[in-house]
Amino acid sequence: MDERPISPALKILAGAMFVFLLAPLIVVVPISFSGDSYMMFPPSSWSTKWYPAIFADGKMVSAFWTSLLLAFVVTVLSLLIGLPAAYALVRLKPRGAEFLSSLFTAPLLLPTIVLGLAILIVFSGYGLLATFQGLVAAHLVVTLPYAIRVLSTALATLPIPVEEAAATLGASPLTVFRRVTLPMMRSGIVGTTALCFLVSFDEVVLSLFMTGPRISTLPVAMYHRVEQQADPLVAALSVLLVVLTLVVVLVVDRTSGLAKTFVK
Amino acid sequence: MSAVAPAAAMAAPMPAAERSSGLPLVVLLLLPIALVNAFGFLAPVFNLLRMSFYESQATGAMVEVYTLATWISVLRDSFYAELILNSILVSLGITLMTLVCSYPIALYLHRSSGTWRTILLVLVISPLLTSAVVRTYGWVAILSENGLVNNALGAIGIAPLKLMFNKTGVVIGLTEILMPYMILALLAGFGRLDPRVEEAASTLGAPPWKVFRHIVVPLTLPGIALGSLLCFVLAVSSFITPKLLGGGRVFLLATEIYDQAIVTLNWPLAATLSILVLVIFGGALVLYTRALRAIM
Amino acid sequence: MTSRTDAPEGFLSIRSLTKRYGDFVAVDTLDLEVPKGELVAFLGPSGCGKTTSLRMIAGLVPATSGRIVVGGSDLTEVATHRRDMGLVFQSYALFPHMSVARNVAFGLEMRKVDKGEIARRVKEAIALVHLTGKEEHRPGQLSGGQQQRVALARALVIRPSILLLDEPLSNLDAKLRDEMRNEIRDIQKRLGITAIFVTHDQVEALTMCDKVVVMNQGRLEQLGTPVELYEAPKTAFVASFVGRSNRLTAVARNGAAEFAGQRIAAPAGLEGPVQVMIRPHRLGLSPASPAATDPARQQVTGTVARAIFAGDILQYDVDVGGQIVSVELATRGGESVIEPGRPVTLSWRPQDIFVYGAAA
Repeated sequence: MDERPISPALKILAGAMFVFLLAPLIVVVPISFSGDSYMMFPPSSWSTKWYPAIFADGKMVSAFWTSLLLAFVVTVLSLLIGLPAAYALVRLKPRGAEFLSSLFTAPLLLPTIVLGLAILIVFSGYGLLATFQGLVAAHLVVTLPYAIRVLSTALATLPIPVEEAAATLGASPLTVFRRVTLPMMRSGIVGTTALCFLVSFDEVVLSLFMTGPRISTLPVAMYHRVEQQADPLVAALSVLLVVLTLVVVLVVDRTSGLAKTFVK
Repeated sequence: MSAVAPAAAMAAPMPAAERSSGLPLVVLLLLPIALVNAFGFLAPVFNLLRMSFYESQATGAMVEVYTLATWISVLRDSFYAELILNSILVSLGITLMTLVCSYPIALYLHRSSGTWRTILLVLVISPLLTSAVVRTYGWVAILSENGLVNNALGAIGIAPLKLMFNKTGVVIGLTEILMPYMILALLAGFGRLDPRVEEAASTLGAPPWKVFRHIVVPLTLPGIALGSLLCFVLAVSSFITPKLLGGGRVFLLATEIYDQAIVTLNWPLAATLSILVLVIFGGALVLYTRALRAIM
Repeated sequence: MTSRTDAPEGFLSIRSLTKRYGDFVAVDTLDLEVPKGELVAFLGPSGCGKTTSLRMIAGLVPATSGRIVVGGSDLTEVATHRRDMGLVFQSYALFPHMSVARNVAFGLEMRKVDKGEIARRVKEAIALVHLTGKEEHRPGQLSGGQQQRVALARALVIRPSILLLDEPLSNLDAKLRDEMRNEIRDIQKRLGITAIFVTHDQVEALTMCDKVVVMNQGRLEQLGTPVELYEAPKTAFVASFVGRSNRLTAVARNGAAEFAGQRIAAPAGLEGPVQVMIRPHRLGLSPASPAATDPARQQVTGTVARAIFAGDILQYDVDVGGQIVSVELATRGGESVIEPGRPVTLSWRPQDIFVYGAAA
């Protein structure tokens, strides 16, 4: 009743732009059920053959497992490294805390193409190219800034008196952190986990610099496949990835509120 | 045991705990991230700077001799001048398109509420969290010879359009890919937009388009500036979409960096071009700060 | 002889104005005639439909049905920007990106008034609200009271056919509110402008306005001058919302209500349980049992339940046949407070007591 009514012109315009925004995600659905052997829209016949074809493609399957394991390891490490760092920066406030937090989030400001090249050059010297460890390290460089940012915000908005109350009731600093601080940070931790997982799982640019014939991630394998032959197999794979993303987004929304986590 | 002991023990723990363990707690907590940052960010970036002054050889090998050769050849070669100009112009075009396409969505989101708004927000954020490869593939399906647009045109008897493997395809694809960033930046900047203020303007005799021009646009300029900076920067440095939708026929700084680094293996040249990208970033940032000061 | 109920067609004429949101009726067939130059208050609790009515007059909310006519022309379907009404918002709604002078000039610019004329009228309007010297300030640099004045100048400078004020004083502190109240009234009288003033504060409505429209749940409860509303409230809602009243229950039979053994004249047609209203300061209180009876006053006896000395007034809660009646007596000095538990006699003039049906 108090909202400004939305004019029909704006509704139509916004609707059209939403169609544009979602068009590439929507078209992959019918294409994934294509019966053709090459990509064509609309497909001339229909089939579900491309979904089993994904699992028959050894390259894709191994790239998928690599990506999954990579995203898992990177997420766990991001939390293990990011949480103590955020705590130190927000709560212990060492001298230069502000400088340090801008330094730790700086990799986000660098274009990934530049970062990818820079990491490629240095990692090649340590023999880390096309290795799992190398990929983990490269991904951590971009996931940690997100982790620091989300966790710092979560920590900074916690009411300190609650922790003080726990301390006066006899809890040791570690117990306070474990029993009071950590549970209250739940939404920040869920947000960080989702963000780090998706960033790592979807990361292409850094991975393109870091992968080779020996090891590949799913987005890189898909990139190479689209570059050579944009067949409906990629569409089927895309549908699975979009569903995965939606599941993660919905889980985040349920546990901690979407707007709170992503729109800051 | 005197009565003093427990009192001292009570008073001591806070500072003592930190001092007794050799390294202060802060250092221990920050050490892992500092290592990642130093090893994965600072060292590579400084090395990149250094690399641009190395000499490269036709074989792809490098010589650790400091020289300005790469810089001189890049700055002299009209191919690179054109590449840089081209990258900037294409990115500006993409930024403008992104702004025009995102503004209605952002305004609509700003004015909607409740569950409907949450659903729309999910629709905006989900593409952001979906791999650029997937979305670019979707554009291939829409824009290619056998794609949605050309088949639709064919059905009504119009000759197919060349929408891929050229700048058109790159601009369309990147515009869509960057829209979520623009929408979120615009939304963040729409805070000053109070519906009562718009109503005040219309009671004072301003027709809708004048309310938009005199009230809505000026009040959302900070969001427009932020979103434009973000999209320009992302457009200049993106290369997945230009690669796939440009099909090697659209030459931009980012694709050239990748080719030089991975295909030609001329790292000094790639490093030099990377630093040029950073210089363009710096320029955009300066323009942004100036614009912001003029707006506020 | 003029009759209030059959008022001549006013300058602003609202006919059967209705606003529905789904099943919810925000404004229910509102009829109102406002003569030129009058200041009329829309008074009521929040959610009573007063702001929605104002927003319909301004064209910000489309009416579900009914007509809005100003100076003979029907504006119901006319867009806000063509209505020529000056609206002062509760939140002021100043343009944050424009100076004070540009804010005030906006409406004139929209009307394509020529530059020299704009400059002259802006200067005049800013002087009218005592803000000369603040022309180049941004709204953010002004105090709440000053922002309020800018909003007023901005609405007045276009010489609107009607000035609409939506709770304009509610965001000001008490002292400033009194000051602005007088100032708005003075300016409105001096310019002879027709104005609607929406408020939930009965003091504002009574002290500033020529007439007051009391609204409740989307309906017009009563239209009248402040004196009429206070001295002859037509409904129980008006009696309790305008000024304070004791709200007591009684039973009506044959045109009279019986309250604690006292018969009170009741409007014809009322039977069964009724509400009896009387203002605390219109009650007289004397100790002990009825002594010399004043034939002009009615009286009942009760017991003091609580006595509160509040400086200006002495307040008693008196138990009369199980119902608590509040009495306020102005202190004159030297009176002794009657202890709780003591019997007292309450008295009143028959014209001060009102009887309404028990509904609502």
